[in-house]
Amino acid sequence: MTIPAIPRRIDVIRTFKEQGGYVAAVLPIHYPRSLLRAFNILPVEVWGPPGIKARDGAKHLQPYVCSIVHNALSFLQSGGLDITDILIVPHTCDSLQGLGSILLDFVSPKQPVIPIYLPRGKRESDVDFFANELRSIYRQLEAITGHSPTDADLLQSIYREEAADKLLSELHRCRRNLPFSNLAFYRLLRNREHLPAETFMELAQKALAQKVDTTQDGGIPILLSGIVPEPMSLLGAISQMGGVVAADDLACCGRRLYPPGQSDDPFRRIAERILYAPPDPTRGNSIKERLEHLLQLVETSGAKGVIFYEVKFCEPELFDLPQLRQGLQEAGLPSLTIEMDLNDPLSHQALTRLEAFLEMIQ
Amino acid sequence: MSKIQALGLDVGSTTVKMVGLDAEGEMAWHFLEQAEPLLENQIARFLERARNVTGPLDGIPLVATGYGRGLVNQATRTVTEITCHARGIYRELGHGGTLVDIGGQDSKVIGISPQGKVIDFTMNDKCAAGTGRFLENTASRLKVSLDRMGPEALSVSDEVSISSTCTVFAESEVISLIAHGVSIASILRGLHRSLVKRMVSMILTVGLTPPLMLSGGVAQNPAIRQMLEEETGQKIILPHYPQLMGACGAALFALDA
Ligand code: SF4
Repeated sequence: MTIPAIPRRIDVIRTFKEQGGYVAAVLPIHYPRSLLRAFNILPVEVWGPPGIKARDGAKHLQPYVCSIVHNALSFLQSGGLDITDILIVPHTCDSLQGLGSILLDFVSPKQPVIPIYLPRGKRESDVDFFANELRSIYRQLEAITGHSPTDADLLQSIYREEAADKLLSELHRCRRNLPFSNLAFYRLLRNREHLPAETFMELAQKALAQKVDTTQDGGIPILLSGIVPEPMSLLGAISQMGGVVAADDLACCGRRLYPPGQSDDPFRRIAERILYAPPDPTRGNSIKERLEHLLQLVETSGAKGVIFYEVKFCEPELFDLPQLRQGLQEAGLPSLTIEMDLNDPLSHQALTRLEAFLEMIQ
Repeated sequence: MSKIQALGLDVGSTTVKMVGLDAEGEMAWHFLEQAEPLLENQIARFLERARNVTGPLDGIPLVATGYGRGLVNQATRTVTEITCHARGIYRELGHGGTLVDIGGQDSKVIGISPQGKVIDFTMNDKCAAGTGRFLENTASRLKVSLDRMGPEALSVSDEVSISSTCTVFAESEVISLIAHGVSIASILRGLHRSLVKRMVSMILTVGLTPPLMLSGGVAQNPAIRQMLEEETGQKIILPHYPQLMGACGAALFALDA
């Protein structure tokens, strides 16, 4: 069985623009998709991209800034984002906050830059703050596009994204009943990073139609945590060594299973969805919350160990790791950390660690 | 010599080791050489040597480990060096604890359960600091042979502090210290301390569960042993053949087959 045919990212962007839409390049991790779509803006996420010559960005960035930020700036400066109309920079971490400032104050790209200030918590006051932040982004998008979507338009866009996220959660939930390899499955999931929700839903439904009753034999189940599974060959390597990703806590995937919102106010509803998503250090969730979440994922997936696959120099992730690993160890769960640079191939050493870890937990 | 029933081949980045076990899992034969660039040829030579000792290898299971394990086409299976080291040392010492293996180009710390299972590990494989190469490079700069480094370092009590953990920078630091008239033995002492401190931070990542065991080529260096004891407050336990633990573990896996 194969995953349904996936349209190429560049084709998706061109088609969307030909139909009169705008395209926003969006940096990681959390942002209001439905708000953008209500303005006929397609968000296309920029996780680096990996494997490019990250030279141009080095002028502005310190060597100890992560490769996602280095690559994004280099990609922008080499014209890779010229096709996009807007740049969205969530203040996910110090590095992205720094990038936002560099773009606004020094690089001045041709596209307007919209920073997003995310609260670090999920109290009522955080929802209020974020809803107001979204109202301010609304006004900026209104000025850029000349459109003024009504509350009804916004809610319609939110419901569509909620439907897409419901299917995304379903894919995560029944991943072991789908006849796809680790690699094929993540290729499918990660289309959510650039496909319009309606196109993604078609793909997801086709994939879910291939669901079988019995669990596919995939080998030693592991929980994959971290930022982004790049290079994607990591997933092939896990399969080859007899492992299967039974659940994930990846910033680009499992941490973005946004629940439906409750409020009828569109801005509050978007805020609720983002702030009530699975715990993420970049949104200020505590180690306790993260640990509970990981242990719950382990319980439901049967994972025998956790692999933290980290981007080198990623402070929000790396700061949490010692306590997270200790908490897992106390719960009898082995874990492994692999740090990578987005521009490096999967090293022999990383493969050895992975293999040794699978030998250890099998 | 008792009859060899299983073979383990550890293709490391600095040395290649082969061990033959008898039916009881006791070491009946071993062979070690510096690693050569054309590993395939060297592996063929090792197999030839084994054949000379055991006769035809058909039917004798062979497990390969080490960074070049994938090049051993004749292997029945491959197992990582982490798992093999743990298995080898457990068989020899009969208890769990924390194993520090300092090899030529990488080093590892492995937590081993009382039952001999790997429970956690960490590897330093990206940087020469914390590996035998760190000492080797500076030894050649100081014109001291590798086997004299440890005794020389222990011959003085003065110790200079080497601030660079990077091998390349440490070398420049050493040159500048020599230029300032610091004795070679004090420099050597400082270099050993620097390597040991690096190892201790790795040990802390895994967590130190006594006893502390040491393997790898660098285990033969008395200064490393002494300083590791000083820095951790633990007595070091050494196997008979520190360099052969990976190959022994591999051979034990072969014997399971
Ligand atoms: S990888 Fe970490 S440091 Fe880099 S942009 Fe993402 S959250 Fe920030």
